Amino acid sequence: MKTMSRPPIPPELLAMMARGVSVIVASRDAELRPSMMRAMGSNVENEGQRITVFVSRAQSRQLLQDVAAGAPIAAVFSEPATHHCVQVKASRVAVRDAAPRDEPLLVRYLASMEREVQRVGFPPHLTRAMLACRLPDLAAVEFEPEQAFDQTPGPRAGKPLMDGAP
Amino acid sequence: MNELQLPDIRACLEGAIPANMATCAGDGTPNVAFLSQVYYVDEEHVALSFQFFNKTRQNILANPQAAVLLLHPQTAAFYRLHLRYLRTETSGPLFEGMKAQLAGIASHSGMQAVFKLLGADVYRVERIEAVPGEPLPAPMPRGGMLAAVRRCSEQLARCASLDEALNAVLSTLTHSMGVQHAMVLMFDPAAQRLYTVASSGYATSGIGSEVQLGQGVIGVAARERTPVRITHMTNAATYTQAVRSSFQAGAGGIEAATEIPYPGLAQPRSQLAVPVLAAGRLLGVLFVESPDDMRFGYEDEDMLVAMAGQLGATMELVQVAGDAVEAAPMAAGPEPAASGEPLHLRRFGGTDSVFVGDDYLIKGVAGAILWKLLRDHAGQGRCDFSNRELRLDPSIRLPDVTDNLEARLVLLRRRLAEQCPAIRIEKTGRGRFRLHVERPVVLTEIS
Repeated sequence: MKTMSRPPIPPELLAMMARGVSVIVASRDAELRPSMMRAMGSNVENEGQRITVFVSRAQSRQLLQDVAAGAPIAAVFSEPATHHCVQVKASRVAVRDAAPRDEPLLVRYLASMEREVQRVGFPPHLTRAMLACRLPDLAAVEFEPEQAFDQTPGPRAGKPLMDGAP
Repeated sequence: MNELQLPDIRACLEGAIPANMATCAGDGTPNVAFLSQVYYVDEEHVALSFQFFNKTRQNILANPQAAVLLLHPQTAAFYRLHLRYLRTETSGPLFEGMKAQLAGIASHSGMQAVFKLLGADVYRVERIEAVPGEPLPAPMPRGGMLAAVRRCSEQLARCASLDEALNAVLSTLTHSMGVQHAMVLMFDPAAQRLYTVASSGYATSGIGSEVQLGQGVIGVAARERTPVRITHMTNAATYTQAVRSSFQAGAGGIEAATEIPYPGLAQPRSQLAVPVLAAGRLLGVLFVESPDDMRFGYEDEDMLVAMAGQLGATMELVQVAGDAVEAAPMAAGPEPAASGEPLHLRRFGGTDSVFVGDDYLIKGVAGAILWKLLRDHAGQGRCDFSNRELRLDPSIRLPDVTDNLEARLVLLRRRLAEQCPAIRIEKTGRGRFRLHVERPVVLTEIS
């Protein structure tokens, strides 16, 4: 697997991911049964080369069990109002407890999501209920994407943005 | 057992908030996709729209296991469905129902150029998980729907005529469901068209206006014999009812002159069409619409389907009862003599189109019926008629024994009331009616 010095995620899509948009995370078990949950927060660092997604342990038991067992991860970042969408995948993840230092990120993420979701007509209190979580329940799932795909709906969805694993 | 069932979470399947789907490739790589539609098939199955040959498609063919994450649009509660892919349907009722709904979703989200249904992927729901969270309180359940169906059912059971049955259904829709715009159309199997026999809430009644089988939401519901529900305005021409068939085809002359404008909303944002069936045959379509988005949900669909079933059975019973009556006896007393300016009626033989002066009145089977009645009235002084003799009269060319003669008479009676009140048809009993002609009539045949 080659390591890219600069992941070729276009800057506008990278900016969208970093701003705090909708994130859905998936993995699978040994029987290849998919597991999935919405992330309660995200952090995109180093031009997309390092990504952290925060998930509720209570909501994501199977998902966390699967990645802990060494299964790969997929995460989709999408902007509800435009349908712009990027999917990243990684074969390995590191899971840690969310810490007080993560709190500003989560607050910023929630504020961004309230705006994003309001743009498609849903009130902020719905977003707050959707993303309601408590720090002690959150797991921070960190990974370095090996593949990225433009997933904006349409015939070109799934087009690789960068090479990595086959 | 208190396990969560699919009907419990139908609100999550309205497409208000897009759902997500996770699949897994044969090599073990997971994948997440957005779903524009999670379509309720029955208590144990959903259908997902197959629109592109993408990663999800490849995965599902290699590994039929999938998960779907749903969000309740009012409470923000999450639900996870664990699914198994069964098959893909590319035609038929399920496919057409989804296709129509997707057209609405696509127009609403500005994706009309992108979203196109290639297939309806049917999945078995193996397990439903209520994901823990801090959801908002659930809205009050909508009450009174079952009571409204009951009232409608009671009214229909008392109906002795198609007129009464149509009124019972429209009044239930208006008074119990708050529906502002509704119509009932009957199917003419010979012409492969539907014609409006009753409506409420429109600027013009549109009685007699026609819809081709397969045209618009109404025509698709009829052709596929399945409910079609659109929760957002669609710009897709297929589902735009207002585009008129013969004008589209550039027809002129008599066809254009006999077009009664379709009464429906020019820009409906919610539409629901439900087929009316009896003994497996299509009798017509019950249709409601609204200028608001997301006006009709699954419960409205349930209610309309229940009402349509009752209406179909009532239509059939009224029809059979009407046909059983022997030819009518002579009129009890003499009719008052017609007076005033004579009415000039012309019939164009080819289409049985009847005009009063220069104004189009009626055509087809109902036109032929009117002409027979007026001829017998003029020639033999007859006023009283029976359904049975109409059915036996070769000049009327009733397509076959199953043709809904009662509906033709309702159409004729209502068109006369709107366009030519000097001629009336009054029901005098089961399968019997009387022709009232208040002005002298001059009949001219144009072949």
